[in-house]
Amino acid sequence: MCAKPKKTPDQEQYDQLEKKYETKRPVLKNCLRAFWVGGLFCLVGQAISYFYIYFFNFTEQTASNPTVATMIFIAMLLTGFGVYDRLGQFAGAGSAVPVTGFGNAVISAAIEHRTEGFVLGVGSNMFKLAGSVLLFGVFSAFVVALIKTILIYMGVI
Amino acid sequence: MKKIRKGQEMPKYLLLLISLFLIAGCSKHDSDEAPLSLVKPTNPTPSLIHSESRSTDEDMLQSIEEDIEKQKELYDAAIVKNDDTVLVAYKVRHLQRFHMKKIEKDVKGKLEDKYPDVKFIVSSDFKIFLEVVELHEQLKNPQFSAKEAQKKFDKIVKLKKELT
Repeated sequence: MCAKPKKTPDQEQYDQLEKKYETKRPVLKNCLRAFWVGGLFCLVGQAISYFYIYFFNFTEQTASNPTVATMIFIAMLLTGFGVYDRLGQFAGAGSAVPVTGFGNAVISAAIEHRTEGFVLGVGSNMFKLAGSVLLFGVFSAFVVALIKTILIYMGVI
Repeated sequence: MKKIRKGQEMPKYLLLLISLFLIAGCSKHDSDEAPLSLVKPTNPTPSLIHSESRSTDEDMLQSIEEDIEKQKELYDAAIVKNDDTVLVAYKVRHLQRFHMKKIEKDVKGKLEDKYPDVKFIVSSDFKIFLEVVELHEQLKNPQFSAKEAQKKFDKIVKLKKELT
Protein backbone atom coordinates (compact mmCIF):
# COMPACT_ATOMS: atom_id res chain seq x y z
CA MET A 1 0.00 0.00 0.00
CA CYS A 2 1.27 3.43 -0.86
CA ALA A 3 1.39 6.22 1.74
CA LYS A 4 -1.28 8.92 1.77
CA PRO A 5 -0.27 11.92 -0.37
CA LYS A 6 0.38 15.07 1.66
CA LYS A 7 -2.46 17.58 1.63
CA THR A 8 -2.09 20.92 -0.06
CA PRO A 9 -2.71 24.11 2.01
CA ASP A 10 -6.02 24.51 0.17
CA GLN A 11 -7.13 21.01 1.14
CA GLU A 12 -6.13 21.58 4.77
CA GLN A 13 -8.08 24.80 4.84
CA TYR A 14 -11.08 22.99 3.39
CA ASP A 15 -10.75 20.27 6.05
CA GLN A 16 -10.86 22.88 8.80
CA LEU A 17 -13.88 24.51 7.20
CA GLU A 18 -15.60 21.16 6.90
CA LYS A 19 -14.92 20.32 10.56
CA LYS A 20 -16.48 23.65 11.54
CA TYR A 21 -19.81 22.92 9.81
CA GLU A 22 -19.91 19.15 10.22
CA THR A 23 -22.73 17.78 12.34
CA LYS A 24 -21.26 15.99 15.33
CA ARG A 25 -22.21 12.30 15.57
CA PRO A 26 -23.64 11.45 18.99
CA VAL A 27 -21.39 8.36 19.35
CA LEU A 28 -22.06 7.71 23.03
CA LYS A 29 -25.83 8.12 22.60
CA ASN A 30 -25.78 5.77 19.60
CA CYS A 31 -23.77 3.20 21.55
CA LEU A 32 -26.16 3.36 24.50
CA ARG A 33 -29.22 2.98 22.23
CA ALA A 34 -27.60 0.06 20.39
CA PHE A 35 -26.68 -1.56 23.71
CA TRP A 36 -30.18 -1.31 25.18
CA VAL A 37 -32.13 -2.31 22.08
CA GLY A 38 -29.69 -5.13 21.25
CA GLY A 39 -29.96 -6.31 24.86
CA LEU A 40 -33.74 -6.16 24.65
CA PHE A 41 -33.67 -8.42 21.58
CA CYS A 42 -31.48 -10.86 23.49
CA LEU A 43 -33.94 -10.76 26.40
CA VAL A 44 -36.80 -11.63 24.04
CA GLY A 45 -34.65 -14.41 22.54
CA GLN A 46 -33.92 -15.81 26.02
CA ALA A 47 -37.65 -15.75 26.84
CA ILE A 48 -38.44 -17.61 23.59
CA SER A 49 -35.67 -20.10 24.38
CA TYR A 50 -37.23 -20.80 27.83
CA PHE A 51 -40.63 -21.06 26.15
CA TYR A 52 -39.29 -23.90 23.97
CA ILE A 53 -37.59 -25.55 26.97
CA TYR A 54 -40.72 -25.39 29.14
CA PHE A 55 -43.38 -26.36 26.66
CA PHE A 56 -41.58 -28.53 24.10
CA ASN A 57 -38.93 -31.24 24.25
CA PHE A 58 -35.94 -28.99 23.71
CA THR A 59 -32.89 -28.87 25.95
CA GLU A 60 -30.81 -25.72 26.53
CA GLN A 61 -28.49 -27.00 23.81
CA THR A 62 -31.15 -27.82 21.21
CA ALA A 63 -33.52 -24.89 21.94
CA SER A 64 -31.18 -22.45 20.19
CA ASN A 65 -32.22 -23.63 16.70
CA PRO A 66 -35.98 -22.94 16.97
CA THR A 67 -35.23 -19.76 18.96
CA VAL A 68 -33.09 -18.32 16.15
CA ALA A 69 -35.74 -19.31 13.59
CA THR A 70 -38.50 -17.64 15.64
CA MET A 71 -36.48 -14.46 16.16
CA ILE A 72 -35.80 -14.21 12.41
CA PHE A 73 -39.47 -14.85 11.67
CA ILE A 74 -40.61 -12.12 14.08
CA ALA A 75 -38.07 -9.68 12.55
CA MET A 76 -39.41 -10.54 9.09
CA LEU A 77 -42.99 -9.83 10.20
CA LEU A 78 -41.95 -6.55 11.84
CA THR A 79 -40.09 -5.52 8.67
CA GLY A 80 -43.23 -6.21 6.65
CA PHE A 81 -45.32 -4.09 9.04
CA GLY A 82 -42.76 -1.27 8.76
CA VAL A 83 -41.86 -1.35 12.45
CA TYR A 84 -38.33 -2.71 12.13
CA ASP A 85 -37.22 0.20 9.90
CA ARG A 86 -38.12 2.67 12.64
CA LEU A 87 -36.40 0.51 15.21
CA GLY A 88 -33.33 0.42 12.94
CA GLN A 89 -33.30 4.21 12.70
CA PHE A 90 -33.46 4.48 16.46
CA ALA A 91 -31.09 1.68 17.52
CA GLY A 92 -28.66 1.40 14.57
CA ALA A 93 -26.26 -1.48 15.14
CA GLY A 94 -28.42 -2.69 18.04
CA SER A 95 -31.02 -3.87 15.54
CA ALA A 96 -28.66 -4.80 12.69
CA VAL A 97 -26.07 -6.94 14.47
CA PRO A 98 -28.33 -9.54 16.19
CA VAL A 99 -29.72 -12.38 14.06
CA THR A 100 -32.93 -10.36 13.59
CA GLY A 101 -30.94 -8.05 11.28
CA PHE A 102 -30.61 -10.99 8.92
CA GLY A 103 -34.39 -11.36 8.63
CA ASN A 104 -34.71 -7.63 8.09
CA ALA A 105 -32.07 -7.71 5.31
CA VAL A 106 -33.90 -10.52 3.47
CA ILE A 107 -37.39 -9.04 3.65
CA SER A 108 -36.44 -5.41 3.01
CA ALA A 109 -34.63 -6.48 -0.19
CA ALA A 110 -37.67 -8.55 -1.21
CA ILE A 111 -40.03 -5.59 -0.63
CA GLU A 112 -37.72 -3.22 -2.47
CA HIS A 113 -37.59 -5.36 -5.61
CA ARG A 114 -41.24 -6.52 -5.54
CA THR A 115 -42.13 -4.19 -8.42
CA GLU A 116 -39.68 -5.99 -10.73
CA GLY A 117 -41.67 -9.22 -10.53
CA PHE A 118 -41.45 -12.39 -8.50
CA VAL A 119 -38.66 -14.20 -10.36
CA LEU A 120 -36.33 -11.44 -11.57
CA GLY A 121 -37.29 -9.05 -8.77
CA VAL A 122 -37.96 -10.84 -5.46
CA GLY A 123 -36.26 -14.15 -6.33
CA SER A 124 -33.00 -12.78 -7.64
CA ASN A 125 -32.63 -9.86 -5.23
CA MET A 126 -33.91 -11.31 -1.94
CA PHE A 127 -30.46 -12.46 -0.84
CA LYS A 128 -28.60 -9.44 -2.18
CA LEU A 129 -27.55 -8.43 1.33
CA ALA A 130 -28.11 -11.64 3.26
CA GLY A 131 -26.34 -13.73 0.62
CA SER A 132 -22.93 -12.67 1.88
CA VAL A 133 -23.96 -13.62 5.44
CA LEU A 134 -24.95 -17.08 4.20
CA LEU A 135 -21.86 -17.54 2.05
CA PHE A 136 -19.30 -16.49 4.66
CA GLY A 137 -21.28 -18.17 7.46
CA VAL A 138 -21.30 -21.52 5.66
CA PHE A 139 -17.68 -21.15 4.56
CA SER A 140 -16.38 -20.20 8.03
CA ALA A 141 -18.41 -23.07 9.58
CA PHE A 142 -16.76 -25.43 7.07
CA VAL A 143 -13.27 -24.14 7.92
CA VAL A 144 -13.87 -24.35 11.70
CA ALA A 145 -15.31 -27.89 11.36
CA LEU A 146 -12.32 -28.91 9.25
CA ILE A 147 -9.86 -27.58 11.85
CA LYS A 148 -11.79 -29.30 14.66
CA THR A 149 -11.86 -32.61 12.76
CA ILE A 150 -8.11 -32.43 12.15
CA LEU A 151 -7.44 -31.58 15.83
CA ILE A 152 -9.66 -34.48 17.00
CA TYR A 153 -7.95 -36.81 14.52
CA MET A 154 -4.52 -35.72 15.85
CA GLY A 155 -5.72 -36.24 19.42
CA VAL A 156 -5.21 -32.62 20.53
CA ILE A 157 -8.82 -32.19 21.70
CA MET B 1 -43.46 9.52 5.29
CA LYS B 2 -46.89 8.31 6.29
CA LYS B 3 -47.26 8.16 10.04
CA ILE B 4 -48.57 4.88 11.45
CA ARG B 5 -51.42 5.42 13.80
CA LYS B 6 -51.32 3.54 17.08
CA GLY B 7 -54.84 2.21 16.68
CA GLN B 8 -53.95 0.48 13.41
CA GLU B 9 -50.87 -1.31 14.72
CA MET B 10 -52.15 -2.65 18.03
CA PRO B 11 -54.28 -5.60 16.79
CA LYS B 12 -51.22 -7.20 15.11
CA TYR B 13 -49.24 -7.23 18.36
CA LEU B 14 -52.28 -8.43 20.24
CA LEU B 15 -52.77 -11.23 17.72
CA LEU B 16 -49.15 -12.30 18.16
CA LEU B 17 -49.42 -12.21 21.94
CA ILE B 18 -52.72 -14.09 21.99
CA SER B 19 -51.36 -16.79 19.66
CA LEU B 20 -48.29 -17.18 21.89
CA PHE B 21 -50.50 -17.60 24.95
CA LEU B 22 -52.72 -20.08 23.07
CA ILE B 23 -49.71 -22.19 22.09
CA ALA B 24 -48.50 -22.03 25.69
CA GLY B 25 -51.91 -23.27 26.85
CA CYS B 26 -51.58 -26.44 24.75
CA SER B 27 -48.91 -27.83 27.03
CA LYS B 28 -49.65 -30.08 29.98
CA HIS B 29 -47.96 -29.18 33.25
CA ASP B 30 -49.31 -31.04 36.23
CA SER B 31 -46.63 -30.17 38.77
CA ASP B 32 -46.36 -27.15 41.07
CA GLU B 33 -42.65 -27.01 41.93
CA ALA B 34 -41.14 -27.63 38.48
CA PRO B 35 -42.28 -24.43 36.70
CA LEU B 36 -40.83 -22.33 39.53
CA SER B 37 -37.46 -24.09 39.48
CA LEU B 38 -36.14 -21.50 37.02
CA VAL B 39 -36.32 -18.72 39.59
CA LYS B 40 -35.81 -20.49 42.93
CA PRO B 41 -33.81 -23.45 44.21
CA THR B 42 -35.95 -26.57 44.67
CA ASN B 43 -33.46 -29.11 46.09
CA PRO B 44 -35.82 -32.10 45.88
CA THR B 45 -35.06 -35.19 47.97
CA PRO B 46 -33.35 -37.84 45.80
CA SER B 47 -35.76 -40.49 44.47
CA LEU B 48 -35.56 -44.15 43.56
CA ILE B 49 -37.52 -45.69 40.72
CA HIS B 50 -36.43 -49.32 40.87
CA SER B 51 -33.90 -50.72 43.28
CA GLU B 52 -32.56 -54.10 44.52
CA SER B 53 -31.74 -52.89 48.02
CA ARG B 54 -33.61 -49.75 48.90
CA SER B 55 -31.80 -48.70 52.09
CA THR B 56 -28.27 -48.98 50.58
CA ASP B 57 -29.36 -47.00 47.54
CA GLU B 58 -31.02 -44.31 49.65
CA ASP B 59 -27.80 -43.88 51.63
CA MET B 60 -25.84 -43.66 48.41
CA LEU B 61 -28.16 -41.00 46.97
CA GLN B 62 -27.93 -39.02 50.20
CA SER B 63 -24.15 -39.14 50.00
CA ILE B 64 -24.21 -38.05 46.33
CA GLU B 65 -26.43 -35.10 47.25
CA GLU B 66 -23.99 -34.07 49.99
CA ASP B 67 -21.09 -34.33 47.55
CA ILE B 68 -22.90 -32.07 45.07
CA GLU B 69 -23.78 -29.55 47.79
CA LYS B 70 -20.10 -29.36 48.78
CA GLN B 71 -19.18 -28.03 45.33
CA LYS B 72 -19.34 -24.26 45.61
CA GLU B 73 -20.01 -23.76 41.87
CA LEU B 74 -23.33 -25.66 42.13
CA TYR B 75 -26.42 -24.68 44.08
CA ASP B 76 -29.39 -26.89 43.30
CA ALA B 77 -29.41 -30.61 42.60
CA ALA B 78 -32.05 -33.13 41.53
CA ILE B 79 -31.03 -36.78 41.70
CA VAL B 80 -32.90 -39.89 40.64
CA LYS B 81 -31.77 -43.53 40.50
CA ASN B 82 -33.09 -46.37 38.39
CA ASP B 83 -31.41 -49.81 38.68
CA ASP B 84 -27.70 -49.05 38.28
CA THR B 85 -28.09 -45.67 36.56
CA VAL B 86 -28.05 -42.41 38.50
CA LEU B 87 -29.23 -39.21 36.88
CA VAL B 88 -27.74 -36.07 38.44
CA ALA B 89 -29.06 -32.69 37.28
CA TYR B 90 -27.81 -29.51 38.89
CA LYS B 91 -27.68 -25.74 38.43
CA VAL B 92 -24.40 -23.88 38.05
CA ARG B 93 -23.86 -20.45 39.64
CA HIS B 94 -24.18 -17.74 37.03
CA LEU B 95 -20.55 -16.58 36.81
CA GLN B 96 -19.32 -20.19 36.83
CA ARG B 97 -21.35 -21.01 33.71
CA PHE B 98 -18.23 -20.23 31.63
CA HIS B 99 -16.67 -23.41 33.04
CA MET B 100 -19.78 -25.58 32.65
CA LYS B 101 -18.13 -28.36 30.62
CA LYS B 102 -15.18 -28.59 33.01
CA ILE B 103 -17.53 -28.71 36.03
CA GLU B 104 -19.59 -31.48 34.38
CA LYS B 105 -16.43 -33.49 33.70
CA ASP B 106 -15.18 -32.96 37.29
CA VAL B 107 -18.50 -33.93 38.91
CA LYS B 108 -18.84 -37.04 36.73
CA GLY B 109 -15.20 -38.05 37.37
CA LYS B 110 -15.53 -37.66 41.16
CA LEU B 111 -18.79 -39.64 41.31
CA GLU B 112 -17.47 -42.43 39.08
CA ASP B 113 -14.33 -42.71 41.23
CA LYS B 114 -16.42 -43.00 44.38
CA TYR B 115 -18.99 -45.46 42.96
CA PRO B 116 -17.27 -47.47 40.20
CA ASP B 117 -20.19 -49.89 39.54
CA VAL B 118 -22.80 -47.18 39.04
CA LYS B 119 -23.46 -45.51 35.69
CA PHE B 120 -23.75 -41.72 36.08
CA ILE B 121 -25.55 -39.35 33.76
CA VAL B 122 -24.59 -35.83 34.80
CA SER B 123 -26.14 -32.70 33.34
CA SER B 124 -26.27 -28.98 33.95
CA ASP B 125 -28.96 -28.51 31.29
CA PHE B 126 -32.05 -26.74 32.64
CA LYS B 127 -34.45 -28.95 30.65
CA ILE B 128 -33.00 -32.10 32.24
CA PHE B 129 -33.27 -30.44 35.67
CA LEU B 130 -36.87 -29.46 35.00
CA GLU B 131 -37.79 -33.00 33.89
CA VAL B 132 -36.09 -34.60 36.91
CA VAL B 133 -37.95 -32.26 39.30
CA GLU B 134 -41.20 -33.15 37.50
CA LEU B 135 -40.38 -36.86 37.84
CA HIS B 136 -39.76 -36.35 41.59
CA GLU B 137 -43.19 -34.82 41.99
CA GLN B 138 -44.88 -37.50 39.90
CA LEU B 139 -43.20 -40.20 41.99
CA LYS B 140 -44.90 -38.76 45.10
CA ASN B 141 -48.26 -39.51 43.48
CA PRO B 142 -49.34 -43.10 44.36
CA GLN B 143 -51.25 -43.42 41.04
CA PHE B 144 -48.04 -42.90 39.07
CA SER B 145 -46.94 -46.41 38.05
CA ALA B 146 -43.37 -47.76 37.94
CA LYS B 147 -43.76 -48.34 34.20
CA GLU B 148 -44.60 -44.68 33.63
CA ALA B 149 -41.67 -43.65 35.81
CA GLN B 150 -39.35 -45.90 33.81
CA LYS B 151 -40.68 -44.37 30.57
CA LYS B 152 -40.08 -40.83 31.84
CA PHE B 153 -36.58 -41.77 33.04
CA ASP B 154 -35.71 -43.19 29.60
CA LYS B 155 -37.09 -40.02 27.99
CA ILE B 156 -34.78 -37.85 30.12
CA VAL B 157 -31.76 -40.03 29.26
CA LYS B 158 -32.66 -39.74 25.57
CA LEU B 159 -32.98 -35.93 25.90
CA LYS B 160 -29.51 -35.76 27.43
CA LYS B 161 -28.05 -37.60 24.42
CA GLU B 162 -29.66 -35.24 21.87
CA LEU B 163 -27.20 -32.81 20.35
CA THR B 164 -29.11 -30.93 17.64
